[in-house]
Amino acid sequence: MDYQKLAKKIVQRATKKGASQAEAFLEVGRQSSVRVREGQIEDLTQSTSKGVGLRVVVKGRLGFAFTSDFEPSGLDLLVDQALKLAQAAAPNKLNGLPGVKELGRFGDTGELYDAAVANLPGDWKVKAALEMEKAGRAEDSRVTTFNAVGAGDFVSEVYVASSEGMAGGYSGTYVYLFAMPVAAADGQLQKGYWLDYKRFLADLEPPESIGREATRRAVRMLGAKRVKTQQVPVLFDPLVTASFVSGVARAASGNAVHQQASMLASLQGKRLASEHVTLVDNGLLPRGLSTAPFDGEGVPTRRTPIIDRGVMSNFLYDAFTARKAKARPTGNAKRGYNAQPSIGTSNLYLEAGTTPPEQLIREVDRGFYVTSLLGHGANPVTGELSAGANGLWIENGELTHAVQEVTVAGNVLKMLQDMDGIGNDLQFRGGTVGAPTVRFRQLTLSGE
Amino acid sequence: MPRASAPTRRAPSSQLAPPAVRQPSPAPLLPQALLERLLAVAMERGGDFAEVYVERTHSTSVALEESRIKSAQTGLVQGVGVRVISGGKVGYAFSDDWDEPALLRAASTAAMIAQGQGSERSFPVSRVAVPSHYRVPTPLSDVEVSLKASLLTRADQAARAFDSRVTQVNGVYVDQTRRIAVANTEGRYSEDTQDLCRMSIQVVAQGKKNERSTGSYGGGGRVPFTHWATFPPEDVGREAARQAVATIGAVDCAAGPQTVVLAPGWSGILLHEAVGHGLEADFIRKGTSLFAGKLGEKVASELVTVIDDGTVSSGRGSINIDDEGTPGERKVLIENGVLKGYLYDTLNAKLMGQRSTGSGRRESFRHLPIPRMTNTFLAPGNHHPGDILKEVKRGLYCATFGGGQVDISNGNFVFEVSEAYQIEDGKLGRPVKNAILIGVGPEALKNVSRVGNDPQPDPGMGVCGKNGQSIPVGVGLPTVRIDNVTVGGTQVG
Repeated sequence: MDYQKLAKKIVQRATKKGASQAEAFLEVGRQSSVRVREGQIEDLTQSTSKGVGLRVVVKGRLGFAFTSDFEPSGLDLLVDQALKLAQAAAPNKLNGLPGVKELGRFGDTGELYDAAVANLPGDWKVKAALEMEKAGRAEDSRVTTFNAVGAGDFVSEVYVASSEGMAGGYSGTYVYLFAMPVAAADGQLQKGYWLDYKRFLADLEPPESIGREATRRAVRMLGAKRVKTQQVPVLFDPLVTASFVSGVARAASGNAVHQQASMLASLQGKRLASEHVTLVDNGLLPRGLSTAPFDGEGVPTRRTPIIDRGVMSNFLYDAFTARKAKARPTGNAKRGYNAQPSIGTSNLYLEAGTTPPEQLIREVDRGFYVTSLLGHGANPVTGELSAGANGLWIENGELTHAVQEVTVAGNVLKMLQDMDGIGNDLQFRGGTVGAPTVRFRQLTLSGE
Repeated sequence: MPRASAPTRRAPSSQLAPPAVRQPSPAPLLPQALLERLLAVAMERGGDFAEVYVERTHSTSVALEESRIKSAQTGLVQGVGVRVISGGKVGYAFSDDWDEPALLRAASTAAMIAQGQGSERSFPVSRVAVPSHYRVPTPLSDVEVSLKASLLTRADQAARAFDSRVTQVNGVYVDQTRRIAVANTEGRYSEDTQDLCRMSIQVVAQGKKNERSTGSYGGGGRVPFTHWATFPPEDVGREAARQAVATIGAVDCAAGPQTVVLAPGWSGILLHEAVGHGLEADFIRKGTSLFAGKLGEKVASELVTVIDDGTVSSGRGSINIDDEGTPGERKVLIENGVLKGYLYDTLNAKLMGQRSTGSGRRESFRHLPIPRMTNTFLAPGNHHPGDILKEVKRGLYCATFGGGQVDISNGNFVFEVSEAYQIEDGKLGRPVKNAILIGVGPEALKNVSRVGNDPQPDPGMGVCGKNGQSIPVGVGLPTVRIDNVTVGGTQVG
């Protein structure tokens, strides 16, 4: 089926039936995944999926409907539903799809599709998962079981068409490996977690190395205990830093800022951190998981520094919010077919520093190296962060015993000011957010 | 008393009357002959068990921002998932195409997990009557969207009228009418219609020094739209506003162990995180939960009896049948501190020689069923809530809660407190900001020293995530005191 044509047809049907503007966002995908357990396949899943979301504007009122039913009757119903819903919405003169000015030329994304992933044979995944499990067990005999070990791939196509002249599509591939071993000693269980998620098969870390690293991360947590309540220097490993900077980016949503519901609301142009701190959203990052020529409403993606050498520089916008805030859209409308666009990040990363992470640890007399956080992260309105933390204790510049059942707390704005070390180990570990190891001068650790 | 003003809808443990049996609805999702055909194809390579899961979900969502209805949307998602079990291995394939060739393709893909010879056995099924724990005479998908939108407008107005320091109100109303059919090679075929709705309101308030604070409240359940007459949206808006205003000027939270008193209701997520997940049979079978192998052992204070109940009338987590066709059940997980049982789905029950407890749930046809909770609550105790507070010299009163999370292996769980007060000499003191509780499941439950006689279900807004699948759940708790809980905060000493 020609999905680009189908998207166009849906738009035409909507305008014919009374929409002043219409936009169809269509997704088609197929995925396959495998998990193994004790040298055997545990489960195999295969599927195809598709869906289309239709946004219409009728006399300044917005309506939206979606369906996975592509039969002519299903698509008729889709158009009728969207038009009907527009009647329930309040008119707003800012409503409207991105126009010629906002649509513009697409930037260069480089390759998004790897034929090697698209044609990956099923037994490659089985073999890779088995290798991970074997390597994970071989690495340390204290690994007694796995929560899951698996591999999968995913091929997707996206098409957008609108009455305002948008017509585009792209397809992409994704492949991933993950291992979640559990280590046991002295009645304590500790889990490990390691993964890799890439667009290109050649970029993927070897299964054996994923399995081994997952085990190392489980085993090093054995013997974890609480420490005293105190204020100490705290390091976040790259995964934890990634979740921290995601919280900062949530507060940089143009909508939250416009509503004064963000800790960053009045800080544009102000210094937030040292000049070594640069946080970037880049929809055109070569080989990035979230790289695409246009966002969820057809606006070209781009590179947007949120914090530029320590200064709060740009907020993220979709077309509607940009109009409302008299700003320019940044290509950050994120969505699936079953939702309307809302502001989100594409490939988000904290730029790497120059210090090896080992040195960041070595410079600390007593401190806490955090390897996982529990909880939902910072409140984007107030910046308050309080989260459960697991990790390793630092004494005299060396990692010593494991720590659990403690929390770290602070305010994100203060933490940004306090960020006094950035590692050279930037990595996108299993997601669209990348970060290196970072160190904060001081955080409150709550324990005994 | 800074208590959530949630109108009590029901006592969580009083739903023991025999459920009425619902008449099978006349128009099946898929013709029975096709279900049987799919089962036969799924078994053609000799699996041990096959199941066809059919789902059609109509959903609506309405969003309010800056006192306007920003958008309204509806959607239809439908699909079929075919599962084949062969030994301990599972094959799963799903499709959102309903045409026969696509469905047959999914069935033969799932069949590939078995490596046996061709078989042409047939697998007749017969329709099983299901209980009825929720009654929604008019499906929510048939209610006019404008009525749904007006709930948000009313909540917005009430929130803004509550206090001049309220600066922003955002609201969402969502509902779904989900029809499922499950047929398996054991001959069972059942259908259920599961309506569900929820409204939630977020408020931002700003104090004199421009300090911001937030409040959030909502509710719903497997209830007809008339629910909103007895659970007025104005109450929801006012409660969210009250929380936001109450926490303006909150002081930093002291870090370290404290005695905490939990307000009743939504605080039940404590159980959900501290024990509930750790009792799910997949973690038990794989030995990844710290509760594995502890049946019959004391894992909590004698005051603690934990129940998971899928049969609560109109409960958000209630299910007439789970997503494997097994009727929902009431299960005692911990009785007077002793571990009594786990939560089983079909697969884990088979592999462990147990029976399913009606806990096999899935987000949609795109997912495999896994053991999950339904409505999880703590049975009431004998203490008067007022006395519980009075006895505490110094501590923390936790009035409203955000969410929680658990690591089921080391048992560490957190529990975010969005509104808390210092307790001084048995009385509530200043509001405290940014508190979080952390503990290890069984240890925290051993420190439960008072359980109130005021059981309260949450107002109906819980969403539980596991293995990437989100499902609706309910929780409930009476007022509870726990000693020596580590409280996360910023103030030391």
